[in-house]
Amino acid sequence: MSITPTVFYRDPKAAMDWLQRAFGFEVSLLVTDDAGNVGHAEMVYDGSTIGVGGEWGGPQLGGAQMKSPASLGGAGTQFIWITAAEPIDEHHARAAAAGAQIAQAPETQFYGDRTYRVRDPEGHVWCFRQSVEQVSLEDMENRSGLKVKTSA
Amino acid sequence: MKGYPSITPLIWYQDPVAALAWLERAFGFETRMVVDDGQGGVIHSEAVFGDSLVMVVGPPHGAAASPAGLTGRHTASVHLQLSDGLDAHCERARAAGAVIQREPATQPYGDRVYTCLDLEGHPWSIGQTIEELTAQQMAAATGRDIREKL
Repeated sequence: MSITPTVFYRDPKAAMDWLQRAFGFEVSLLVTDDAGNVGHAEMVYDGSTIGVGGEWGGPQLGGAQMKSPASLGGAGTQFIWITAAEPIDEHHARAAAAGAQIAQAPETQFYGDRTYRVRDPEGHVWCFRQSVEQVSLEDMENRSGLKVKTSA
Repeated sequence: MKGYPSITPLIWYQDPVAALAWLERAFGFETRMVVDDGQGGVIHSEAVFGDSLVMVVGPPHGAAASPAGLTGRHTASVHLQLSDGLDAHCERARAAGAVIQREPATQPYGDRVYTCLDLEGHPWSIGQTIEELTAQQMAAATGRDIREKL
């Protein structure tokens, strides 16, 4: 059983090129129509698979419409968390060089991960993480002042 | 499941507590962690599905939004791949109130798939491989150009 998020773009071809340059995603599946438009695409980065699609909304979708954040004033209904495969500060530098809009520069969090967050050219938010320290739940609560409930 | 998969969707809900309960009932997720904000909101949560998980958070702030606040529009979807039981999964989701958009049907690319909207309008697709096809076989079956590399 697995989970794959799909993100929608006004220009999926340009987005795929950018995701390759900025984050290191490689195309693993590309479905195009006769006009060369992207019907569906999948990209992989170190075991993380994403789907990439264009904007659309047909009658079979009821009232729902797949939109790029660029068409919704920057709003996004999902962010994506990905584990960086190389040193996260280097990954961040690569994303920044590709023009990612930095929402949060690399920072070590109370829960033991170093993370950064960026927006891609159409406004999707991507969060990268890398574990730098094992932190117990008790220490997480002490450091943050938050209450952490677990099923364990 | 312990630790973190390499990719995790973080999904925004106006009522994340209700969403976690619904995802358990409708799809079979199991909530393993919740960090609430003390005011009915969720700062962080982890709901497990096999070896994968989603983070359910809200209410939305900043650039984040729920489809419920965007007249049903959304910027991403989530696909769940099952090993078996696709039709039963659909009935379970329907009984929990999922809006089924496409009923279970076996696709020319070899997967049986249904799609639905959850309680706040996020789109989900759920699939199960019935027949393993190569990209070439998929292209022949669908009439599309299908490549595994650019």
